[in-house]
Amino acid sequence: MLHKRIYQFLIIYFLGLSALFIVKYSLELSDYVIPSPAEVWSAARQYFFSFFINSVNTLCVAILGHMISICLATAVAIIGSKTNWIGSFIKIGAYNIQAYPIVAVAPIIFILFGDGLSSRLLITAMICYFPLLLSFIGVFSEPVAHIEHFYNSTGQMTWWLPIKIRLFENISKLITVISGSATVAMVGTIVAEFIAADAGIGYRIRIALYQSDLAKILVALFLIGICTSLYLFVLEYSGTRIKKKLDIPAEGSQ
Amino acid sequence: MHINLNAIDFRHGKTDTRVFENTSYRIDGPGFNALFGPSGVGKTTLAKIIAGKADHNSRFSGSIDKEGISVILYTYNLERLPNWYSIEEHFRAVCPASAKKLLNELTEISGLKPVINSRFSRLSLGQQNRANLIRYLIQDFDVLIMDESLANVDEITKQKIILKIKSAFPDKIFLYISHNVVEVAKFCKEILVIRRPERLPQIKKVSGFDFAGEREPGQGRLEHIMLEIMNAS
Repeated sequence: MLHKRIYQFLIIYFLGLSALFIVKYSLELSDYVIPSPAEVWSAARQYFFSFFINSVNTLCVAILGHMISICLATAVAIIGSKTNWIGSFIKIGAYNIQAYPIVAVAPIIFILFGDGLSSRLLITAMICYFPLLLSFIGVFSEPVAHIEHFYNSTGQMTWWLPIKIRLFENISKLITVISGSATVAMVGTIVAEFIAADAGIGYRIRIALYQSDLAKILVALFLIGICTSLYLFVLEYSGTRIKKKLDIPAEGSQ
Repeated sequence: MHINLNAIDFRHGKTDTRVFENTSYRIDGPGFNALFGPSGVGKTTLAKIIAGKADHNSRFSGSIDKEGISVILYTYNLERLPNWYSIEEHFRAVCPASAKKLLNELTEISGLKPVINSRFSRLSLGQQNRANLIRYLIQDFDVLIMDESLANVDEITKQKIILKIKSAFPDKIFLYISHNVVEVAKFCKEILVIRRPERLPQIKKVSGFDFAGEREPGQGRLEHIMLEIMNAS
């Protein structure tokens, strides 16, 4: 699973890099616009380690922000699924807020919190939160009639049981949604670092951008891709293990 | 103990299809009865009306009087048990202390013992239906409506289960929905043949053989009941 993800990323990355060099040499662009392969290699050798540390820093913030948004979305979706009017209110609110680009709010967070970990974390969590909330509300609000019928009919339904049933029945869907939002978390963190950070790979890219140093940016992109692939692998692997442990049948078999 | 359906009118909400019009019927006393009729005629709808689970979007008028009945349970063959426990753990979780002996007997008779430690998704369709039915049978009820609850179960096991139900619950009302004319003719006390609204009366009663395990019905008697059912439907 991991090597497939890494191979896929490497193929895409080197195809993109090749396309860049083809453009450079076919249009005879200067090294200032698009650096030569030798220059990229030199930047890689020089900055790989420090950029790697920065990428790991970004990854840690992305994971933390992602986890915060998952916990928050779960809690709010459970509350929303329990009361009709609260559920409708949250759903409509989440739809409207999700339609608004959260990144546009990031400068306000920067003004209020300054640059640093709290701003990065908050922007990351906000970017992840609303898409997750919509999916979670959908899952927790939709009764699984064929299972819940017995408990409703016999008066054995508890407060927690419908949540457990819906969670269990939709575990594959939830794992897919969480894995999918991992990329959003990484994007959110990097965007936050562009705006409001003094660390992380997004911050390094911003500095490289000011220096118009595309070689450094290409090295940073490589490390971002590797880190994202690693995180996605961990989530997908954990999801597979959870499904196996819970004996969840393959999707579409029921 | 009886259920009295008085002038039931029922139309489906979305399609406004008329299902029952001024239909009345009385189910008297305990026994194993059947709801029989072609697909789409309204067996499940009637069962849900009796169980108080009719679709809220539908138009319903009339009344249902019940005497000596407080709990009506409705079970159907598409129900599933959550997959987080084995069948045994599920049974244990929903079984009242007073029904433990009955649970053991039902598990034995229904042939679920060998798969009792499996999870629901690992069972065959017939085993799933039996597991679902058993958890209803161990609950407290006065009327149990079994909507194709023994579908996909082999004839021998089906007979064992029905005979066990009849002997274990002599004071309860069962409404058994099935498309199998032989089994309703053989096992049921009364067969409520449901017909399309154009045909009046919409529910016609046929007396079944009500086989309880003592004396097998003769071929001629069974054929006669089956013919009556087919003529009525």
